Amino acid sequence: MIKIEAAAWRVMVDHARATYPNECCGAMLGTAQGDSKTVVAAVPLENAFHGEQGARYELRQEDLLWSDAEARRKGMDLLGIFHSHPDCDAYFSKTDLENSCPWYSFVVISVKQGRFDHANSFLPDPDQTHAVNEELSYEVSEVIHG
Amino acid sequence: MAKVLIPTPLRQYADKKDSVELQGTTVGEVLTALTSQYGDLRKQLYNDEGKLRSFVNVYLNDEDIRYLNKDRTPVQDSDTLSIVPSIAGGRYAR
Repeated sequence: MIKIEAAAWRVMVDHARATYPNECCGAMLGTAQGDSKTVVAAVPLENAFHGEQGARYELRQEDLLWSDAEARRKGMDLLGIFHSHPDCDAYFSKTDLENSCPWYSFVVISVKQGRFDHANSFLPDPDQTHAVNEELSYEVSEVIHG
Repeated sequence: MAKVLIPTPLRQYADKKDSVELQGTTVGEVLTALTSQYGDLRKQLYNDEGKLRSFVNVYLNDEDIRYLNKDRTPVQDSDTLSIVPSIAGGRYAR
């Protein structure tokens, strides 16, 4: 399961809302014990997809490299990636699956009409053919959805 | 020896180490040393045809080896290799 602390969750949702109607993306840093992950910090990253970003995102590898280094500097781990789905549900699309990596959790945030709607987390397989749902919990503060 | 940084989810296949130092004069030699020492890592990094999985990229310090000399890129003792995945996606194509 993956648990996201309030400060990190706020950063993720704020980033998803700020980039609406485009997709956002970013990295999740924290600690892991076995399959139990706790996200302590979220790092908003630039959507590097060349083209219409309302339905696509792409992470720069250099940004991931930097995120991993940042996690190490803070004594944390790079646990996963988040991105948003503007005006549709938080499913793991075929495009998401075919461009995923099995090493990380993938949190998808649904933003509808510019407001947070719901979120899910997924764990893709190494062959990029299947992803399972990962139990997701997040701490919400009042200011997030205002 | 060159240092190889191990991404968090792969440390379980490398005696829980966050980095390992390995002998090798090229990137290919260092990666071979890595997967020889930690056999379970091989399945994570390479497909059944023995090629790096499509989402796996290797950086020598801050440079992608695809833009250097790929596996034949020379490695110095002071160099650091990083394993960086390609990640993208999008809401279309359910």
